[in-house]
Amino acid sequence: MDLERLNYDENNRHHRFIRKLAISVVSLVVFFLIWWNLSLILNNPAVPTPGETWDAMRYLFEKGDLVSGMTMWSHMSISLQRFIAGLLLALAVAVPMGLLLGYSNTLNEFSSPTLEILRPIAPIAWAPIFLFTVGYVWGPILVVFVGIFFPMLTNTIFGVKKIEPNWMDAAKTLGANKKQVFTKVMLPASVPYVMNGLRIGMGVGWMCIVASELYASYGGGVGYFVSIQAQLGYWPNVFVGIILIAILGILTTGLSDYAYRKIVKRMGIE
Amino acid sequence: MSGNISIANLSKTYKTDEKETVALWDFTLYIEEGELVTIVGPSGCGKTTILRMIGGLTEPTSGTVALGGKICQGPGPDRGMVFQDFALFPWRSVRKNVEFGLEVAGVPKAERRERAERYIKSVGLEGFENAMVHELSGGMKQRVGIARALVTKPNVILMDEPFGALDAQTRNIMQTELLRITEKTDTTVIFVTHSVDEAVYISDRIVVLTKRPASIKEVIDIPWPHPRDRSSPEFTALRRRILKMLESENIQPDGKEGSIA
Ligand SMILES: Nc1ncnc2c1ncn2[C@@H]1O[C@H](COP(=O)(O)OP(=O)(O)O)[C@@H](O)[C@H]1O
Ligand SMILES: [Mg+2]
Repeated sequence: MDLERLNYDENNRHHRFIRKLAISVVSLVVFFLIWWNLSLILNNPAVPTPGETWDAMRYLFEKGDLVSGMTMWSHMSISLQRFIAGLLLALAVAVPMGLLLGYSNTLNEFSSPTLEILRPIAPIAWAPIFLFTVGYVWGPILVVFVGIFFPMLTNTIFGVKKIEPNWMDAAKTLGANKKQVFTKVMLPASVPYVMNGLRIGMGVGWMCIVASELYASYGGGVGYFVSIQAQLGYWPNVFVGIILIAILGILTTGLSDYAYRKIVKRMGIE
Repeated sequence: MSGNISIANLSKTYKTDEKETVALWDFTLYIEEGELVTIVGPSGCGKTTILRMIGGLTEPTSGTVALGGKICQGPGPDRGMVFQDFALFPWRSVRKNVEFGLEVAGVPKAERRERAERYIKSVGLEGFENAMVHELSGGMKQRVGIARALVTKPNVILMDEPFGALDAQTRNIMQTELLRITEKTDTTVIFVTHSVDEAVYISDRIVVLTKRPASIKEVIDIPWPHPRDRSSPEFTALRRRILKMLESENIQPDGKEGSIA
């Protein structure tokens, strides 16, 4: 299309935003059209139309599903709680550990064989063991923990190794002791890297929570809801679950991207 | 404590897997309190090594550094340091950078703030207290570096090519500023530079080093008052004399001439 005829100005922020918005809207419309046509052509109960899905969604948000009696709000909040618990746990373990391993070469060499063996294992592979050992409440949380832990750890170690030696020298000549060098230089200097680990971990972690709920869980959650509804053949409900998983995933990663950019800018480290 | 520095028989050998580098050999120098001494010498001769050993950041292989008659062990706020690449903390504002030394010493918040503000003002950065480091120009950054080093009232400040990253004009301004700031105090300044012009302009005394391993080639007293005229005959004559010395130090064993910088 000839954008100049619409007075489009590449250097104008609002014009660029409107252009982006318009393209996104068109993209979504095309997506819904494809979906709608596919469901008509396939004529399969497992592929409901957008309309059926929309009706199911409204019902589920207002009244809840017939199996658990919980609304979609409750399912979403349960999944988010598990996700946040796993995230906090990963932060609490990976950040101090990453600082230590970044600081001490010996510790890093000592732990890296074990870590390198564990790293390539898909977090969900732990689900059977976790569910058996710590149960339905902590099992999914631990899967999220494993998913977020590794990117957090790697980024924190990397961050410590990238700290300017001059910053530590400057702190020492200003009278800082070992502990103060750690808390006032190493810790803040590694924050952008920790945040980057968090940003990557958020995406992985959200996949982990849904996967572990799908695998086996109890007492609600979006993944659990999808799994039960599929077993019962309530396909529009399954689609509602999938759409909400997508939306929550976009929101969590979008939020962490935003926080990352804000903090990096605030701290003046690019 | 007084700010005289006594460096006795200081030597440093760096050992790595492949080789041993003798960076400094039997360096002895006495510096009076309040003196501004510059150290010039060929690149790689060991100037940074000397400053880092005085600052306590590098352990000497042998020899001692004493401040006011007391032997120095490790770094301390009695010897402030200013770095060529500024080494400011980018996550802290100008004010917070300057406050750092007071903060780690446990100075109460109100006093910290008041003292930091006084020094920020004295380096000409009034109004930039809340600016972040990345918003400042090179010259402004080094002003923060100087304020940060001075705020704890060190007896000595060690400056390793502090204006080396600045353009020529800013450099000249900073030289004058440094003299203005340190004139009022009895702080001793030990200043490493590549620029002979800079050394002649600011120094009470210039120490010319030989090539590595560094030892003292010549010590030149400059009793001239400030401000000095860079184009006066005695200024240019002295500058030429020192450049000659450095050039002769830069003749490589294979007969090729190295660069002074
Ligand atoms: N940490 C170090 N390990 C090994 N060699 C070093 C180290 N620091 C400096 N050197 C060597 O010591 C010599 C003197 O270095 P330096 O003091 O930085 O010189 P200058 O500041 O005069 O340019 C150089 O040959 C340099 O390569
Ligand atoms: Mg050097």
